[in-house]
Amino acid sequence: MALRELSSLEKYLGLKKPNKYSTQGDKKVPVLQNNNGPPLVGLGTIASHLVKVAKRPNLLGDSAESRAVVQQWLEYRVTKLDGCTKEDTKAILKDLNLYLQDKVYMAGNQFTLADTFMYFGIHPIIVDLSVQEKEQYVNVARWFDHIQRCPGVRHHLPPLAVLRNRIYTSKHH
Amino acid sequence: MTKDEVQGATEEEQAQSKKGLKKQQKEAEKAAKKAEKQSKLAADQQGSEEDDFAKDRYGVPPMVQSQQKLDRVLVRVEDLSPEKADQLIWLRARVHTSRAKGKQCFLVLRQQQFNVQALVAVGDRASKQMVKFAANITKESIVDVEASVRKVEQKIESCTQQDVELHIERIFVISQSEARLPLQLEDAVRPDGEGEEEGRATVNQDTKLDNRVIDLRTTTSQAIFRLQSGVCKLFRDTLTNKGFVEIQTPKIISAASEGGANVFTVSYFKTSAYLAQSPQLYKQMCICADFDKVFCVGPVFRAEDSNTHRHLTEFVGLDIEMAFSYHYHEVIDSITDTMVQIFKGLRDNFQTEILTVNKQYPSEPFKFLEPTLRLEYTEALAMLHQAGVEMGDEEDLSTPNEKLLGRLVKEKYDTDFYVLDKYPLAVRPFYTMPDPNNAKYSNSYDMFMRGEEILSGAQRVHDAQLLTERAMHHQIDLEKIKSYIDSFRYGAPPHGGGGIGLERVCMLYLGLHNIRQTSMFPRDPKRLTP
Repeated sequence: MALRELSSLEKYLGLKKPNKYSTQGDKKVPVLQNNNGPPLVGLGTIASHLVKVAKRPNLLGDSAESRAVVQQWLEYRVTKLDGCTKEDTKAILKDLNLYLQDKVYMAGNQFTLADTFMYFGIHPIIVDLSVQEKEQYVNVARWFDHIQRCPGVRHHLPPLAVLRNRIYTSKHH
Repeated sequence: MTKDEVQGATEEEQAQSKKGLKKQQKEAEKAAKKAEKQSKLAADQQGSEEDDFAKDRYGVPPMVQSQQKLDRVLVRVEDLSPEKADQLIWLRARVHTSRAKGKQCFLVLRQQQFNVQALVAVGDRASKQMVKFAANITKESIVDVEASVRKVEQKIESCTQQDVELHIERIFVISQSEARLPLQLEDAVRPDGEGEEEGRATVNQDTKLDNRVIDLRTTTSQAIFRLQSGVCKLFRDTLTNKGFVEIQTPKIISAASEGGANVFTVSYFKTSAYLAQSPQLYKQMCICADFDKVFCVGPVFRAEDSNTHRHLTEFVGLDIEMAFSYHYHEVIDSITDTMVQIFKGLRDNFQTEILTVNKQYPSEPFKFLEPTLRLEYTEALAMLHQAGVEMGDEEDLSTPNEKLLGRLVKEKYDTDFYVLDKYPLAVRPFYTMPDPNNAKYSNSYDMFMRGEEILSGAQRVHDAQLLTERAMHHQIDLEKIKSYIDSFRYGAPPHGGGGIGLERVCMLYLGLHNIRQTSMFPRDPKRLTP
């Protein structure tokens, strides 16, 4: 799962040579073996490294604050989102919905790694939501639809339909 | 005895006498209380016997056994208005509530959907005993009341007749109710939300259904079933005006019509027979018998073990069948026009009832288009795909998908009523006529109200040869349907039709959520009484 994401990220960044990754542990944490240094372990770490290699540092955030927020969301993705249970999903969606109320992107005013990896991570949850639930978490749905249409992001994941108009009024049947 | 013993004895005696004293004191107190009570009772009785000048203006008369013909006009509660101010009238109603307050007693008298406030006050017309009697009348008792109608300055919000109140001169109990009711009518009419918020009781559905006679007295139930009666009447009137003939079909039949699984078996002398799942076969035979356009209103029995909000084992079917000239859309147009006439009739003549139901069960008014919206199955699939639903071309719509489709159609076309045309052939019964241009589809249609199916219909196969082929394709035993196929051998016109469920139409028109609310004495896999 994480490996596919990293290869999608490589394609997005335009890196010519795909790296070879291995995994470690039960949770299949990705490891990148570098020729001249210690191995890089962890999704967030490797992603940040790839971004630097591809010379696209703006993907990590353009101000100190947004850089911190990007790292926060990468952490969130790995700790909270991966392997969360059904009960947690509702809480996570609620939190995200509240957070995204007034934001176009996860961090700052531009597309960052936080958007990419949160998109990858939340895709399996959104797949299972009904139309009514997507309407309930309207901000998450809006952000999700926006990100999945950004060129080059989607790659290995199928597109999900998000309706433009509300079809459920407050008195739902 | 020794000195100690003597001392012990005297101590005992002292103790005893102490106890004895206490006992005596207690007894004295008791006796005093009793005497007080008795004297009070005596005083009361004396009081009640003294000066009951109104003795003949209230009471419990002997049971009405048609002893006399009284030339008395009883006024209806719904007709009480300021126009009748200061008139002395008689009326018969139920006591909804009675509340004594010092020298007055306030009663709310109820008749079906309407209620009015009434007042008995100590004065020159009513005595203290009469007020007491009125306050003690049990809820739900039927009373005859002679009262004068008085205008009120402040509107009485809690009653339907808000501008007047009755000042009672005479009150008689015609039929007394037992003091303990199995459910309180106020609780049965309370909206669910209000019950939770204010911590007041609501009555759950099973209790209501077990004590249906009392539950049916509530204003909401009265309104629902009046509306249902209206649907039946509008159905009959509209179709009769279109030249349809009403027929009655047998309900005890020899072979299951729709499929063997969901049919009730009855013992029929030495053999067994079945209860009809639909009047399908007989409607068609009537068309072959040259009745041209027929409809029938009657019970339908489905032995489906479904415990859902929209299934009953017995319900009332409103069925239509008609011969057409060249295209089955003539049938669709006729049916949708009938439905639209019914909706219009309900909207124009039953507003009181709709508003009464909405007080307990709020819902949005029912919307429909003229002419009725007709979508093709392929279009509907496209709309569902756009919303992210995965469905095969020849798959039937599941209930959640039907509901979602209803929402999408409402959002796009602003209508709660629409027709879905050209269903896939594979999911329809064997007597459905296939589409002439595309073998995968059929000339069949479903109609939906608020996203739930209310009618399933089609052009029927009227050729015995094709019918036999289709039956064989569905692996149906030809012997069992021999007489059905035979009826098409002697010249049968092209025809089509459909059937709707009366209870479902009412439930969906009013925006209710459970079909048992629109069935007077519902039957489902778990309920056979009342």
